[in-house]
Amino acid sequence: MKNKVLAVFLATIFSVTALVGCGNSSTQAPADGGSDKGASQTATTEAAPSGEAAASTGKQTDGKNLPELTTEPMTITLWDISTEDPNKSISEGAVQRFMADYPNITINQVHQQNDNYKQQLVVAMSSGQCPNIYCHWGGGPMAEYYKSGFANDITDMYAKYDHPEFVDAAVAQSTYDGKMLAIPFSGLTGCDIFYNKTIFKELGIEVPTTIDELEAVCEKLKENGIIPFSLANASKWTGSMYYMYLVARHSGNAEFDAAYTQENGGSFTSPAFIFAGEKIQDWVKKGYFPDGVNSLSADDNQDRALLYDGSAAMMLHGSWQVGGIKSDNEEWYNENIGVFRFPEDSEAKAAGVPQNVEIGTAIGMGLTFNCFKSDGSVDQDMLDACYVLATQYFNDDTYNEQQVAAGTVPSIKGFNENIDDPNNKYIIDEFFKASNVQLWYDQYLPASVTEVHKNCMTELFGLEKTPEEIGQEQDAAMQKALTE
Amino acid sequence: MEKVTNVGLAKARARSTAVAATLFLLPALALIIVFIVYPVIDTFAISGFKWNGISSDRIYTGMENWKALIHDEMFWKSFQHNLVVMVFSILLQIPIGMLLATFLDAGGKKFNIFKIIWFLPYLMSSVAIAFLFVYALATNGGLISSMASLIQGKKVTIDLLGTAPNALFTIIGVMAWQFTPFYMVYFIAGYGNIDTAIYEAAIIDGATRGQYIRHIAIPLLGPIFKTACTMSLIGSLKYFDMIWNMTQGGPAGTTELMATYMYKLSFQQFNMGYGSTVAAGMFILITAIALLFNKVFKVREDY
Amino acid sequence: MTGEIKVSNMNNTQEVDYKKAKLKSRIAWTIAIIFALIQLALTLTPFFFMLMNSFRKQFDMLQQGVFHLPDPWIIENYVEVVTHGFFGYFLRSVIVVAISLVLMLIISAFAAYPLSRMKFKLNGFIYASIVAMMSVPMHVTLIPVFKLTTTVGLYDSLGSLIGPYVAFALPMSVFILTAFMKTIPKEVEESAEIDGCNRYQNFFMMILPLSKSGLSTLAIYNGVSMWNEFAFANTFLITPEKKTLPLALGQFKGEHSLNIPINMAVLTLSVLPMIILFIIFQDKLVKGMMAGAVKG
Repeated sequence: MKNKVLAVFLATIFSVTALVGCGNSSTQAPADGGSDKGASQTATTEAAPSGEAAASTGKQTDGKNLPELTTEPMTITLWDISTEDPNKSISEGAVQRFMADYPNITINQVHQQNDNYKQQLVVAMSSGQCPNIYCHWGGGPMAEYYKSGFANDITDMYAKYDHPEFVDAAVAQSTYDGKMLAIPFSGLTGCDIFYNKTIFKELGIEVPTTIDELEAVCEKLKENGIIPFSLANASKWTGSMYYMYLVARHSGNAEFDAAYTQENGGSFTSPAFIFAGEKIQDWVKKGYFPDGVNSLSADDNQDRALLYDGSAAMMLHGSWQVGGIKSDNEEWYNENIGVFRFPEDSEAKAAGVPQNVEIGTAIGMGLTFNCFKSDGSVDQDMLDACYVLATQYFNDDTYNEQQVAAGTVPSIKGFNENIDDPNNKYIIDEFFKASNVQLWYDQYLPASVTEVHKNCMTELFGLEKTPEEIGQEQDAAMQKALTE
Repeated sequence: MEKVTNVGLAKARARSTAVAATLFLLPALALIIVFIVYPVIDTFAISGFKWNGISSDRIYTGMENWKALIHDEMFWKSFQHNLVVMVFSILLQIPIGMLLATFLDAGGKKFNIFKIIWFLPYLMSSVAIAFLFVYALATNGGLISSMASLIQGKKVTIDLLGTAPNALFTIIGVMAWQFTPFYMVYFIAGYGNIDTAIYEAAIIDGATRGQYIRHIAIPLLGPIFKTACTMSLIGSLKYFDMIWNMTQGGPAGTTELMATYMYKLSFQQFNMGYGSTVAAGMFILITAIALLFNKVFKVREDY
Repeated sequence: MTGEIKVSNMNNTQEVDYKKAKLKSRIAWTIAIIFALIQLALTLTPFFFMLMNSFRKQFDMLQQGVFHLPDPWIIENYVEVVTHGFFGYFLRSVIVVAISLVLMLIISAFAAYPLSRMKFKLNGFIYASIVAMMSVPMHVTLIPVFKLTTTVGLYDSLGSLIGPYVAFALPMSVFILTAFMKTIPKEVEESAEIDGCNRYQNFFMMILPLSKSGLSTLAIYNGVSMWNEFAFANTFLITPEKKTLPLALGQFKGEHSLNIPINMAVLTLSVLPMIILFIIFQDKLVKGMMAGAVKG
C-alpha cells in the first residue's frame, strides 16, 4: 500500500521533470553524430549544469530514507561498459554528481569493452580484483556471481531504504532465488518487428495482427521479389528471437518455464517448441528469410544492410535498433521505419493462452555490488555508498532525462508516458502492457545451455535438424546443467 | 702428464661451456618459466577441480574432468577440425609462400613492390580481416556471390560461411590469406642465407634457374622448411583470434576449434575447471603432434 | 660437305635448344607474372575496401554495399578518431612494442646461441622444452599472469605488458633463431677463435651480425603480433590514459551500436605505420641478407 502511494507520487514527479527534460534535451538529442568535441570534456561540462538543476528541483528521494554515508575517505571501483557516447557521458555525469555531494568518496569508474567484458569479470574475480560495483545483464551469470560470493544481497536494504519505483519485471530480473541482487540502471529493451513503411504502403499491405496474416504478408512480399524478414543468424541470438516469440505466442510462459525446470513433463520438445521449430523451418523453405541466413552477421550489421537497400521489408529485433538506425540516417529512419508487435497465434488465443508475453529485458543491465571486507563480512559502509550511488545518482532525474533523450527508457514506472519517438513509444507501451517479460533465452538459460541453444538455432534455420532433435539436445543440456 | 692436462683442459672447457650456456640461456628461461611454465602447471592443477572460475571454493574431482574429456564428442570434433585446418594450412601456406619467395628471389629488387603488397595481409589485425571477409563472402552482395552471379547471368548464392563443410574451408582460406605472407618473408630470408657463390657455380655449370631452385636451393632450405612447417602446424592447432571474430565456432560448432571451445568453457560458461582440462589436453596433443612431426621429418632429412 | 652439314646441324640444334630454353623461361615467367598479379589482386582487394569504407558513413556503406566506392567521400571518421586521443594510444603502443621487441630479440639471440652452437648436457632437453612451450594457447595464461601482475603491482601500467609479450614471443623466436644459427658455418667461429675471440666476443662480433636476416624476420613476425595484441592489453590496462592502440577500437563500439566505418578508420591508421616500417625495414632486410651472404 505504502509502495503504491509512493509510486504515484514518484510517477507524477517523474512526468513533470521528464517533460521538462525532454524539452531541454531534444536539441542535444542526436548527441551521437554531433559530438565532435572530446568526449570526456563534454561529459563533465554537460553534467555540471544539469547536476545543479537536479539539485535545485530536488533529488527524487531528497531528504528521505537513505543510509547515512561515511565521512571517511573511501575509494570505490565501478565497472561499466559505457565506452561510447551518449551512455559514456550519462554515466560519468552520475558519478560526477555523486562525488560532488560526497567529496570524501572517490569513484574509480572504468569503462570496459563490451566484447570481452564477461571474460574481464571472470579474470578479475578469480584474481581478487573484482570491482566494488559492476554492471551485468542479469540471468544465469548474475546467479553465478552471487553463488561465488561476488554479489551483496541487498534485499533488506531495498525494502528499508528509498529507491526508484522500478517496474515489476525489472525487480524480477534483478532477483535470484528470492534475493535482490542488482539495481537496474540501463533501461527497458523490447523486441518487436521493424518494417519498411514505404514498401508496405506501395504494396498495399496492412500491419498483420495474427501469425496467419503475417504469413500472408510474407507471401505478398515474396511475390514482389522482396525478402520478408531480414535476419542475420550467424549471431544466433537473432534467430532465437523468432523461436522465443513463437513459443511465447503458442503457450505463454507455461511451456518454457516447464522446460526450464524439466519437471512435470516440461521439455523443449513440448508442443509449443515443436510448433515454433516447424513454423521457422516452413518459413525458411518458403524463402521468408534471406539466402545463407546462417552466414550473415548481426554484429557486422548485415541485417540492417538488407533493410537499407530495400531488399528486405521486416526485421524482428531489439529496440536498440531504433537508436542504431537513427544514428545511421535519421531522415531515412523517419521516412521508412515503423514497428509492430509479434502477431498473435489466434488458435492459442482461442484456447485462452495469453498473447501479451513480451520478449526482452526489463533491466537492460543491472549494477551489482561487491562490498566485502577481507574476512568475508559485508563492508556495510561501502555498500551504503554503492546503494546510494546506484539508486540516487544512476536513476536520478538528470540521469533519466538524459537516458530518455538518448532513446533509452528507464525501467521505472511512469516513464512510458513521455517518449517522443513513435516507434519507441509503441515498443515501450507494448512492454508495459505485457503480462510477463521473458528475458532472452541466451541470457536466462544457464551458460552451458545457452551455447547449445544457440547452436540449435543455427541448425534449425539451416534445416539441418528437426525441431524434435533440437528440443532433445536442449533437454539434454538443461538436465546436465540442473544436476551440476 | 700430458694426457692428464688434456683431460683437465677438456673438463675445463666443458665447464666453461656450461657456464656460458647457462648465462646465455638464463634470461629466456626465467621469463618462460614465470609467464608460461607456471601458468601451464596451474592449468594442469585446475584441471583436477570442478570450478566455475570465480568462486573461492573449488571441488577436487580427481580425474573426473579428464575422463569427461576423453568422452567429450565436442572436444574431439574440434580436434578433428584443428587437424583439417592444420593439414590444409601447411599445404597452402608453405608452398604458396615458397612460390612467392622464389618469384621475388628470381626477380630481384625490381619486384619489391610485389613484396610490399603481398605482405599487407599479415600486417592487418584479425578484427579487420574477419570483418572484411564476412562481407566479402556474404551471400547477399558479397564479392564471391556477386561475381558468381555475374558469370552465370542469374542470381547465385554461394554460402561460404553459413553451411557445414564450406565454413571450415573458408576459414582455412582466410587463414592462408593472412599467414602466407609471413612464410614468404621467411623463405626470402632463407634464400638470402644461401651463399651466392653456390648460385654462381650452378649457373656456370650450365644449370637453368629452374634446375638451381629444384636441385640446389630447395634441398639447402630443408631445415628452414622444417621450421616453417612446425610453425604453421602449431599455429593452426592453437588458432583463435580471427575465427573468434568470424564465426565464433559456428555454424552449429562446425568451425569450433580447441581454442575457441576452451575459451567458451572457461570464460563464458563458468566452467574453468573443465576449460583448463581442455587447455591441458590441447597442450598435450599439440606438443605430441609437433614432436612426432619433427621425428618423422628428421628421418627423411638424414636419409 | 658432310662435315659442314654436321656442323651446321649441330649449330642448329644448339640454337634450337637455346631458343627452347629461352621460350621455356619466357613461358615460365609469363605464368609466374600472371600468378603474381592474381596474388596481388587477392591481397589488395580486402585492404582496398578497408580503406574505402573508412571514408564513408555507415548508412551509405550498408545501403550501397561494402564493396562500393564511397559516395560521397567523407573524412569525418578520421577527424573523430584523431581527436579522440588516437595519438596517445599510438605512442603507448610504440613504446610497449619497441621495448618488448628489443628485449625479445636480444634474449632470444642469447638463448639460441648456446642451443645451436654449443655442446652441453641439457641442450636437447632445454631446446625441446622451449619449443614445447610454443603449443601453449595464450588465453590459458591470462589468469595466472594477471594474478602475478597484481601481486607485483604492475596492474594497469604499460610495464605489465612487456613481460608477457617478451615471454610469449620467446619460444617461437628461439626456435627460429636456433635453426638460423645452425646454418652459419662452424669455420666462422673457429677462425674468430684463432684471432683470440672468446665465446662472448664471438657471439657479439660474429654470430649476432650473421643472424641479422633471422632477427629481422622475427622482428617483423613478433612486431606485428605485439602491435595487434588485444587480450592481454584489454585485461591489464584499465585507465584510458594507459591503453594501447588495439584498445582504441573499443572507444567507438557501444553495447549494440558498432560504427564500422570509424572502426575501419582506426584500423587503417593503425596498420599504416606498420606498412611504412615494413617498406623501410624490408630494404634493410635485403641488405642484411646480402651482407650475410657475402661474408658467409
